[in-house]
Amino acid sequence: MSVIETSAPTVSAPPRAPGRTPWMTELAGALVGLLVLALLPLVVGDAYGRHVLIMVFIYAVVASNWDLSLGYGGVFNFGHLALFGIGVYAYSLLTKLAMIDPWVALVASGVIAVVAAVVVTIPILRLKGIYIILVTFGFAQLVMQVILSQSDYTGGTQGIVRIPGLYWFDHNMVRDAKFAYFYIALAMLALSTLFLRVFVRSRTGKSVVALRDNEEYAVSRGVSLVRQRMITLAASAFFTGIAGAFYAAYQRNASVEVFGMSLATIVLSMVLLGGTGTIYGAIIASFVLTVFAESMADFGAWRPMITAVLIIVVMLVYPGGIVGMLKALWGLATRRRA
Amino acid sequence: MNALADILFGGLFQGSLYAMMAVGLALVWTTIGVFNFSHGVLMMLGAYFAWQLVDWGLTAALAFPIAVLLMAGVGWVLQATVVRPLIGRANLVLVVVITTLAAGSLIENGVLELWGPRSKQIPPLVAGNAMLGGVGVSLHQIAIIVVTPIILLALWLFLNRTRLGLALRAVAQNEDAARLVGLNVTMLYGLAFAIAASLAALAGIFLGGYRFMTPVMGADPLLKALIVVVFGGISSISGPIFAAYLIGFFEAICSYYFGLYWTPALLFAALILTLMIKPEGIFASRSRGLA
Repeated sequence: MSVIETSAPTVSAPPRAPGRTPWMTELAGALVGLLVLALLPLVVGDAYGRHVLIMVFIYAVVASNWDLSLGYGGVFNFGHLALFGIGVYAYSLLTKLAMIDPWVALVASGVIAVVAAVVVTIPILRLKGIYIILVTFGFAQLVMQVILSQSDYTGGTQGIVRIPGLYWFDHNMVRDAKFAYFYIALAMLALSTLFLRVFVRSRTGKSVVALRDNEEYAVSRGVSLVRQRMITLAASAFFTGIAGAFYAAYQRNASVEVFGMSLATIVLSMVLLGGTGTIYGAIIASFVLTVFAESMADFGAWRPMITAVLIIVVMLVYPGGIVGMLKALWGLATRRRA
Repeated sequence: MNALADILFGGLFQGSLYAMMAVGLALVWTTIGVFNFSHGVLMMLGAYFAWQLVDWGLTAALAFPIAVLLMAGVGWVLQATVVRPLIGRANLVLVVVITTLAAGSLIENGVLELWGPRSKQIPPLVAGNAMLGGVGVSLHQIAIIVVTPIILLALWLFLNRTRLGLALRAVAQNEDAARLVGLNVTMLYGLAFAIAASLAALAGIFLGGYRFMTPVMGADPLLKALIVVVFGGISSISGPIFAAYLIGFFEAICSYYFGLYWTPALLFAALILTLMIKPEGIFASRSRGLA
């Protein structure tokens, strides 16, 4: 958990002015965080603990990419989990029916998710706020309906089982308490986070934020709303699709549950609990929420209810999310010292 | 003749259900400016309340109104806990989406825990079957087709002819001005949610008398209601009602001529087309801003 403290200084940059933290400082902080995560298997030796961490990494990738479209772009894309689901099914069908190499299928799933994101962006280009929520939500449900109805290929409600997993030369992937999957998931998270942070610090990223904060002014300064919105959603889809493919490869089965409301609620609450427009916030919240949920495994059926209550309470009491809270604490600490 | 009767009946029946669901969503949106994503779950809870009351030995005529009234209370409580405290936040729409989703998940899992996953059925409004233009239909479905317009008309009269209804619409049009003339805006928020939850419960009772009930039965009607309000525009009450019947007929025609599999895809294509041409909805004249 020490990763939270080490990355706290880097996330203290206000989201409204991306790039205020010198990039060297941020890179150093991110590397320290990555190192801490890479050393975690030394502490967490059992398969179950590593499974939880792998799930944290998957959630973190999905949530932080959602933060790109939601927090930075201001686009309420409620079809984000559908992009994840498309990754799951793309990988499953590519490896199982088309017999494509798992690693190729993994990357191809990311590309397919990007294509899907472009398709769903077209109808929402002219829309705002609640209308975007409605259309993207409808898109997610439609994808699920199509998958359910094409049961010859997708297995319908039964889902797909015995999906080929990833491989690493001759290494047995389930041996050594999921050692290999842990590092593949970590590499995925690291690449995704690097991509997202470079994107939001770039000129394109700044123009996306400008569109969110003052659309009329940004457009009058020559920023294209259509183009930037398309880029933002496409960018947020790639690693989401890959995370879906990895999830399918790791779980070795696929079901339409990934399109369900409960998963969407949990991942969205990670984005909002972490604090939008930070990328790191979503990652930290994925940790906190997943570990919290796992620690209550004994409660069984009560767990989703406790999680729901927790989400409501945090939304009511702490609107700024975890990063907002950390920021306030950091501000307090530095002021005391000065 | 057979085809026409099939389409006419199917369209009216589906349209009635969609209208009952969509009106509640639209009512909350127009008055409070938030979207209630637990609307489908409220519908399910209403159906389960009705089932439980019937199971305890009450007659349907007594159980259904009690269930609807109970749901009005649930709607009020929901509004007071997960919506009202958030009013005034910058990203209100988004935050309320997440809190209503979470509340929905809480209720759904609670129902699952309390009543179990086994599907249940509540008695129909009217038992029996009839032949209509060569199509066999249940009297329950006919009752829904007849009752729904009456309820919607009553709602329309309430919103347009009574002081309380006019107050609700005043809040919808201009909240600050409504407060200035002395309306209790907080109370009206609660009222809007209570009415919406009651309508959802009615829809649940309608559906529960016709299909088996499960804790997730509200998900699909919610989706359809969302499509309806996008079609009809959420800035008025009448827009979604027309759109509900329109979509009911659209679905009936599609599933008759193209089969059930293509219906969702065609519906979505029509939705996208509508949004590209008229984002505020087919029947919308003014709009509460597209944000």
